[in-house]
Amino acid sequence: MNGALAVARYTLIELSRRRILLVFVIIGALGILGLGVGLKVLYSVTSSSQGNFGPSNVDPAVFNRFLELLFLTYIFGALGIFGLLVAYGIGMTAIYHDLDSGAAVSIFAKPVSRLAFTAGKIGAAVAALLVIMGLLGIETRIVMFLFGGGLETTLTSAVLAVIGNTVVIMLLVLALSTWMNNIVAAIVAFIYYNVISGVIVFVHNLVENGVIGNAFFKVAFNILYWLVPHELVSSASGDLVRAQVTIQSSSGSTAVAGVPAASGPVDIAWWAFVVCVFCGLVYYSVRRRQV
Amino acid sequence: MAAVVSVKDLRKRYRSSDPWAVDGVTFELEPGHAFGLLGPNGAGKSTVVKMIAGLLRPNGGTVTLFGLDPGNPAARAGLGFSPEDPDFPKFLRAAEVLDYFASLLGLDEIDRKRRIPETLAFAGLDQERRQIRQFSKGMKQRLGIAQAILGRPKLLILDEPTADLDPLGRRDVRALIDRLKESGVAILLNSHLLSEVELVCDTVAIMAKGRVLKEGAMKEVVPEGRNLEDVFVELVQASSPPGPPRDQLPSFISDQDRQ
Repeated sequence: MNGALAVARYTLIELSRRRILLVFVIIGALGILGLGVGLKVLYSVTSSSQGNFGPSNVDPAVFNRFLELLFLTYIFGALGIFGLLVAYGIGMTAIYHDLDSGAAVSIFAKPVSRLAFTAGKIGAAVAALLVIMGLLGIETRIVMFLFGGGLETTLTSAVLAVIGNTVVIMLLVLALSTWMNNIVAAIVAFIYYNVISGVIVFVHNLVENGVIGNAFFKVAFNILYWLVPHELVSSASGDLVRAQVTIQSSSGSTAVAGVPAASGPVDIAWWAFVVCVFCGLVYYSVRRRQV
Repeated sequence: MAAVVSVKDLRKRYRSSDPWAVDGVTFELEPGHAFGLLGPNGAGKSTVVKMIAGLLRPNGGTVTLFGLDPGNPAARAGLGFSPEDPDFPKFLRAAEVLDYFASLLGLDEIDRKRRIPETLAFAGLDQERRQIRQFSKGMKQRLGIAQAILGRPKLLILDEPTADLDPLGRRDVRALIDRLKESGVAILLNSHLLSEVELVCDTVAIMAKGRVLKEGAMKEVVPEGRNLEDVFVELVQASSPPGPPRDQLPSFISDQDRQ
């Protein structure tokens, strides 16, 4: 226990001194602020000239709701991207640099178990990510007050979803970086999490909503869906597309079908399972590692 | 007296297609003794000490540290290990590294407050405020030795401890080894500096290609009137397959002699 705390403490000190993380945080903070101000200006322009944006016969309340959701989606898209950068920054360095530099030789020769080392590293990495994402999340919420509130429930779930997703990607990079070069690990994690899993989840949504009726695809993608991590999502993205469909007066069933519904208890349980699996994978990798 | 380290028929290879890096090494080390492990580059010396420190898993044979498997953290409680080419978390400072390792050793606050400044002073790093990434190789080497003695080990493994040290640093390390030996600490010294090994070690093993060529008390291995370097060169050359002599100069250097 003491060993894990010592590893966590000094990993946090190290992370706090890494300039690259500081740069990511500053860029993230400025990016979210800039995007918020920009969208506020856009909102002011478009809400005063609704006819320039879509059909003129749309209910103003629906249109305003659409703009709010659009704002929310962009701002949380930005939070997600900066969160991803921070997650990669932490995941690529927290364990890899100790193993690569040879620092692990001196550490592992001390009376500390690999389990305590792994627990300390994961604890510090998750804590650092939560602090950074928490700060960016608070900034996002402050920026959202430019709109006068009204989206509290969606905001909270969207922030939690973004944080949950960054934790998973960071653990994946952390696990892979104990097996391979950290840059290769980041590329593999991106391909696996953002490309392969992303496509599987998208096709699964189409299958679930009846857009793809083929029985074989249905079975195959139902199985694949539960073999990959899938991003936690708030209701914002689905609501946005539905609002867009309403404004444009089309049936829109196909467009909406590809958009994931808000994550429910099963998705959250699956997220927790994936986190446990990746933590286990990090431990297994560290335990097997010969230095 | 119970052996601090017991190594029996130890074998290790990194891949199944590779030759054995360590092939049937056997020796024991008792408290208060200094054991020198010698050999040319690639002889398997560092692999042996890393298996003793629980960093590598053997493919065959057994190794015990204080009677336990070195993979067990409790076995490493009495171990101080200064690795070859030591490195540390690069954004920490020397005092922080020692505090980190003191926590891993389970030292309490009182011990830390006393030992860390004294150990830093011994290593000549007490005034150093820079982060490890700004350290020279010699400074890292001194910190490597400092962290190895921090826990007052019963076994001190020094893998090429003086490779990057200046003459004053080497003298300090020799004095440290002598002092620790007197207080009953077992020393396992892995070094290319044969004169140094001859000065401090009671027992020596000469390795080549993963095997022990000769092992015994220093007086047995080095007969009267000879020195360790002569014995070492003779044994290592005898174990090598016939081929061009190792000290033959490249032709472009020899050509310059003629001009």
